[in-house]
Amino acid sequence: MRRRIPQLICGLFGLVVFLCYFSSHPTARSIYLTVTLDYWQIIFAFTLIVGAISFVRVNLRGIERGEDRSYRIASLVGVITMPLLALIWGLKGGSPFMWVFENIQVPMQSTVFALLAFFVASASYRGFRARSMQAAILLGAALLMLIARSTIGDMLWARIPEAAEWVRTTPAMSARRAILIGIGLGSLTTSVRVLIGIERTWLGGEK
Amino acid sequence: MRLESRHWVFLGLFLVILLSMLLQIDLGVKVSQDTQRMHDYIENLPPGSVLMLSFDHEASSLPEIRPLALAVLRHAFANGHKLIGVALLAEGTGIGYRLMEQVGKEYGKVYGEDYAFLGFKPQYIAAMLSMGESIRQTFPEDYLGRPYDDLPMLAGITNYEQVDGVISIADGSLTTHWVEYAGNQYGVRVSAAVAAAMVTTYDPYLASGQMHAMIGGLRGAAEYEQLIHRGGSGLRGMLAQTAAHVYVILMIIAGNVVYFLNRKKGRKR
Repeated sequence: MRRRIPQLICGLFGLVVFLCYFSSHPTARSIYLTVTLDYWQIIFAFTLIVGAISFVRVNLRGIERGEDRSYRIASLVGVITMPLLALIWGLKGGSPFMWVFENIQVPMQSTVFALLAFFVASASYRGFRARSMQAAILLGAALLMLIARSTIGDMLWARIPEAAEWVRTTPAMSARRAILIGIGLGSLTTSVRVLIGIERTWLGGEK
Repeated sequence: MRLESRHWVFLGLFLVILLSMLLQIDLGVKVSQDTQRMHDYIENLPPGSVLMLSFDHEASSLPEIRPLALAVLRHAFANGHKLIGVALLAEGTGIGYRLMEQVGKEYGKVYGEDYAFLGFKPQYIAAMLSMGESIRQTFPEDYLGRPYDDLPMLAGITNYEQVDGVISIADGSLTTHWVEYAGNQYGVRVSAAVAAAMVTTYDPYLASGQMHAMIGGLRGAAEYEQLIHRGGSGLRGMLAQTAAHVYVILMIIAGNVVYFLNRKKGRKR
């Protein structure tokens, strides 16, 4: 019974939303709007609460055990401080919340993201080798794109950006399309399996 | 501490970028077809057209996203379009508002009359779908807490039917959802300004016509700045990007030379 009820709710809502998606009847549109605007947002809010509680519990346990204590304390201070700043002074431009966001979070995240460039440079020296024909083709395409996306491509030969464009719009796009179609079919199959109750792993395993 | 080869590679890249940032050389860029298409799209819209700009990005990609967003905003404001800002990723909220406010001031635009920022709505797919039914119901208040009906420029704007186009400024896959839900279901014209890493992801949508136009990466921003005759961090950053690319190319070549020399030595033994 514990599994049957969630399965029925899932199947029922899935079917209703699916049918409403294709209908232009005012009642169908109204149901659709209620589900997407209200129900979905309420469920999302609850998942946030679960996530926040879980985050706090995991980090408190970690602090008790002495694992990465300083990092965990910093994370908890952030999790507690940011909502407090937002609740007391609001989220508008110039508020303490936005000051912290713009002057601490944005530079920190940009810094971490920028580190990727250094790892790419290191990986290009240590790992990007033409060990086989396939690797050589990949290497050639990468070099072509690197040259074309900077200004040296235009300077060296006008055809270089054209060649890079061809790689982007022909072989790369074909592969991308194939992947997208595969993902689409896979999602469709999984959705149908969940709706009709064949796929039950989302309920927490087969016990 | 003993320096390993990767530390020298890191140091070299740091110096290359630092030097190229200090030098003020305008390399100029050749405008690509994609960027020209995006420019022509905004240029040819009649003045007063309503564009929805969605700031669908995180703070981490700001150095790449900011020049793109500023170029598009400047062009749209210069052409007298009305802009509605939204954010479907929480981090894009403050950034989007600041950028719109900054460029709005540059062009003497009035908040509420020429542009409005509706703020953030969680669950992006739900937000996109519900805006197709009612933007007012999705965002009853703007980012500053003013009721939707108090903003003169939003009078008469009910859903996507009154919006001439959506431009998703994104660093991830959110633009895909704009195409799939807002574009396919409600027929609104979707365009994008995206991080360079995402360009190939959206190429199929652009080729199929599901996406109208797209500019990508720092290079896209530089090309756009050149088209609107307004230099910015896109054009300024091109020297650093070019230098870093040349450095990476040299590293790849050096790595392969070492690899083949070692392989040759191994065969001789």
